[in-house]
Amino acid sequence: MRASAITKRPVVTMSGEDVAQVKDIVYSAGGGAVGGFTLAGRGLLAGPMDKGLPWSSVKGLGADAVMIADEDAFEPLDQVLHTSSETAGGGAARADVLGSQVLTDDGTDLGEVVDVIVAVTDDGFTHCDVVGYEIEASEALGQQGTKMLLPLPDTLSASGEHLMVPASARDFVRQDLAGFGAAVDDFRNQLGGQR
Amino acid sequence: MEWWVWLIIVVVVIAVLFGAFLAVQMRRRRGGVIIDPSGSGGPGKPGDQS
Repeated sequence: MRASAITKRPVVTMSGEDVAQVKDIVYSAGGGAVGGFTLAGRGLLAGPMDKGLPWSSVKGLGADAVMIADEDAFEPLDQVLHTSSETAGGGAARADVLGSQVLTDDGTDLGEVVDVIVAVTDDGFTHCDVVGYEIEASEALGQQGTKMLLPLPDTLSASGEHLMVPASARDFVRQDLAGFGAAVDDFRNQLGGQR
Repeated sequence: MEWWVWLIIVVVVIAVLFGAFLAVQMRRRRGGVIIDPSGSGGPGKPGDQS
């Protein structure tokens, strides 16, 4: 599913109380696992909340709402975001990937990120991972301005402005979500085979 | 000035301020996708919290 389908979803407790709405999706550069969500209050007058929702506290990610047990599921925002100044090396900083430029490792600009593709898998534990970017394609992909889906490797690389992908990702670009999961698997298998 | 001129000015000022407030609120509430270079992410397990 697209990340834009998750943002603005209401966060609802098991007692039926509508306590927040999803603002940002936070995912890890090391593996793409979604670590949690930042939240905004409900209603037009409410702003961003100083609490976040870790993925481990999510009871269910439904089509219309994110379910939690109760408001105790919320944690301080810093814990959800992981304070990068304390734990990250090399001056890396958190950044919104929407609008970022995607570059291959051979220096080709593939386009600009307009959305992020998230996959929820259940293998005993429910994982939520970022598996691809929806990009507005550049000339390099032959269809400039078209929205295309680009699979991501297991380990992501990003700076403040650029998102790096292997050059071979171009061969696995798709135009719609149907079959994109298989493209991600094929891409990752190919990368695995090269190692 | 006529009273209705003042009325129009006040209404316009209120409308502009309200529009600016809405624009700021929309920007504050706008969603995004944040990549966290320090985050381990880790396995999630919805429904496993007791």
